[in-house]
Amino acid sequence: MALPLQAGLTPMEVAFLCEMEMVTVVPRQRLESLNLLSGPTPTLRPPHRAPLPLWLALLLKRQRRANILPPPWLLPSSLERILRHETETSPLAFSPPPPHPHPITSRISPTDHISPPFLPSSTADAPPDYLPYHWLELGEILLEAASDDVPEPDRVRGLLRDLREVRMSKMRGSVKGLEGEGGGVSKMTGVGAMEVSEGRGFILGVLDGLRKLGSSREVARREREEEEGGGEGSEDEEMEFE
Amino acid sequence: MSYYDIDAILTDNQKVPCTFNLTLPQLGYLDSTPGRPLPSGTKVDLPLWLAERLAVSQLTPSTSLITLDLPASLSPRVMNALKADPKSVDLRSLAANFYGLAERILELFEEEEVCDVLLESWRVRAAEVGDHAVSSGKGGGGVGGGEGVEFLRGLDEKERELFRSAHDSSKAMRVWMGEMKKR
Repeated sequence: MALPLQAGLTPMEVAFLCEMEMVTVVPRQRLESLNLLSGPTPTLRPPHRAPLPLWLALLLKRQRRANILPPPWLLPSSLERILRHETETSPLAFSPPPPHPHPITSRISPTDHISPPFLPSSTADAPPDYLPYHWLELGEILLEAASDDVPEPDRVRGLLRDLREVRMSKMRGSVKGLEGEGGGVSKMTGVGAMEVSEGRGFILGVLDGLRKLGSSREVARREREEEEGGGEGSEDEEMEFE
Repeated sequence: MSYYDIDAILTDNQKVPCTFNLTLPQLGYLDSTPGRPLPSGTKVDLPLWLAERLAVSQLTPSTSLITLDLPASLSPRVMNALKADPKSVDLRSLAANFYGLAERILELFEEEEVCDVLLESWRVRAAEVGDHAVSSGKGGGGVGGGEGVEFLRGLDEKERELFRSAHDSSKAMRVWMGEMKKR
């Protein structure tokens, strides 16, 4: 490789992207609306809650101008339920991501394709018991910058560590079930951004090895299919996957 | 595989057993009888890049210059050991670029069973490599310990690369978490 750059994002870059997430703050001082690229922020008036991007909330937190309300899924009770789900209810799959807030029906609507960075998944009214896309980095950032706003920070920190361990070992274990010939890629629904960044090198390496070892067989199969022609070939292909 | 990939070059340089189908004059030094012709039917270990060319080239439509044999590292004995327990085989002592060699050989031979065994052992060993990559370095000085060291010593180049990338990403993660503490 000519460039020493790795594919994918480094943990620091993922954390930077995570700062775009919206969180709920309780301001301590008045602040007029700011015109940001992402749109104007709400005017902050002390007792009223307001949604702000995480980076601005952290800035105000450091200047002691606001408190951050932790999202409901970051509470110890919710994390414990998720951990129980990961270890007992479904010891093989990842716990599901939060449900899409806009109902998805057969009618196509513009809200269907809004994905995590643009969905407020970490505000005070986010659903509990689901880990959003940026759970690990958001949790860590909040624990470091605003540990006095998070109830029972040490327990939350321990639970986040446990969840990370459990989920990473699931991710590593998932390669055992991979198929050689383009077959089953293991299910990754619910995996967070930081986990993708951590697991990328390993998973890609394993898949690459499988692809190369199976390539000769792949070539042979394609040649056979071409010889046999369209209709019959596809039937044979399905039988080979068994 | 890129042109300048040193692992690809080293893979090409591994020796494979070949049998000559012709008597060749002046090539006796290959079989430690310099100055004499090399009789047909002699078995000589040739590097893969040369053997591949010679085996593919056809003198007459039916015969080629040499016949390739399966290298010792892919012999049935090794395949049985891999089938029994992939984790206990020391691939590095068989061939430094074991999987690289296997890929090239599978392109030349139609060996369905070898292919199956290799795919399975790559899967099982890769999962083990991943576990070691994350757990090593976590406990400070004591890397792995016990049976882990033995297994890691037997990794071939490709598995080492996998170990390195898995280890690097989990280290980057720990560094990031450590930096969060300092702020």
